Amino acid sequence: MMFGGHSAGPDRFGTPILGVAEVSGLICDLLDDARLHQVWVRGEVTNYKDHASGHRYFSLSEGNGRSAALINCVMWRTSASGLGFTPRNGMDVLAWGSVEVYEPHGRYQLIVREMLPAGAGERHLMVERWKQELGAEGLFAPERKRPLPTFPHRIGVVTSPTGAALKDILSVISRRYPAEVVLSPTAVQGEGAHTEIAEAIRRIDGLADVIIVGRGGGSFEDLFAFNHPDVVRAVAACTTPVISAVGHEVDTALCDFAADLRVPTPSAAAERAVPERREVLRELSGYRERMETLLLHRTSVAQSEVEDLRERMHPRRLVRRVHERMQHLAEHEELLRRAALARVQRERFTLAEVRADLVGKNPLAILDRGYCIVESGGKIARSAEDLKPGDHVVLRMKDGRAKAIVEERVYDRDI
Amino acid sequence: MTETFEERLEELRKIVRRLEDGDTSLEESIAIYERGALLVKQCEDLLSTAEMKLTELGRDR
Repeated sequence: MMFGGHSAGPDRFGTPILGVAEVSGLICDLLDDARLHQVWVRGEVTNYKDHASGHRYFSLSEGNGRSAALINCVMWRTSASGLGFTPRNGMDVLAWGSVEVYEPHGRYQLIVREMLPAGAGERHLMVERWKQELGAEGLFAPERKRPLPTFPHRIGVVTSPTGAALKDILSVISRRYPAEVVLSPTAVQGEGAHTEIAEAIRRIDGLADVIIVGRGGGSFEDLFAFNHPDVVRAVAACTTPVISAVGHEVDTALCDFAADLRVPTPSAAAERAVPERREVLRELSGYRERMETLLLHRTSVAQSEVEDLRERMHPRRLVRRVHERMQHLAEHEELLRRAALARVQRERFTLAEVRADLVGKNPLAILDRGYCIVESGGKIARSAEDLKPGDHVVLRMKDGRAKAIVEERVYDRDI
Repeated sequence: MTETFEERLEELRKIVRRLEDGDTSLEESIAIYERGALLVKQCEDLLSTAEMKLTELGRDR
């Protein structure tokens, strides 16, 4: 009946028939769950195989007996090349990856992108958590970043007094620029290093123009102190700009994010902290040359102005000016002379006329016409009155004189 | 009150700009040129003769 023979037809109860690919696809969909993607999985390495291709095949297992669980894992060649250790069976590890279905084999597996020994792995996770927290506090905000001074007097260095980082920094700075380096010594790794580094940062803050916090390259473990919130907060709290130089190739240390500038090595930090002396000297000599050129130009312009004025003031010009005036004067003189001459001429004519007139009016002219003038006692006798009988008179004629004596006086009429 | 290197360099840049400006009188040009030449020398001396110094802070406050 219902559960009767196994020979019952497939769709006897209306159950749909699925293709294998369909089922496999459903499984894929089910596993396509955020909880299974980009996750950290902790477990013990088993069945570890280092394949010739470079891919790594293994399982992660947990527990034993009944509660045992196991998941197959694969780490592709490209991811495996970044492994910082050699996994071995029995090792407690943290693997980061996603669960995926390999349909041709009907297997699901964890595709591992990154794997760490559990202790270190936990510290990685811790750093991740700190990063979230400190980031949420705004310590990594880009607007907090301040520019570095161009010509610092004093460079504060927070690092180990015996490390290569200090040697590198000193060598770069002494070569480039004559600044004062103030070391704030600290251990850079090991137990309690983070407290010491944070202290050293606080000690130097405000005493330098720029601070370099760093150390040479090392493993994640070596650099771990530079991730610690104590150090990150100390960097963020600095009033002086900070360059973070924690030697690392792949990862960044959290103090990098809080610093005003991050560079990969202490040497690079020193290069960014101070300018290149030779370049500054070149700039200076450039200014000197420009100033000289500009001043030379300025003085030569002024000189030619003076030269021009001198030329315009030259005596030659004055002499010419005088000559011009003299010429002018001479012309006027000539005009004057001519005018005077004309005047004289005119006066002469006038004079001739007057003379002719005068001649016409000559009292002696009447003598020519036969008249005579009678003079008595040196005076002209004009009237009978002036004469009396017996007077000696002179008769003035046109061509001479005659003396006579008055005989009688007769009036033409009675007086 | 001595000026910092940065202040001197800034003053020097201003002097060059004023020399470039045709409005500056000749007397002024000569005066600021002399000042500029002095600044260049001071800056050069500072860069050429000074050496890097290293001091160390005590670990105790």
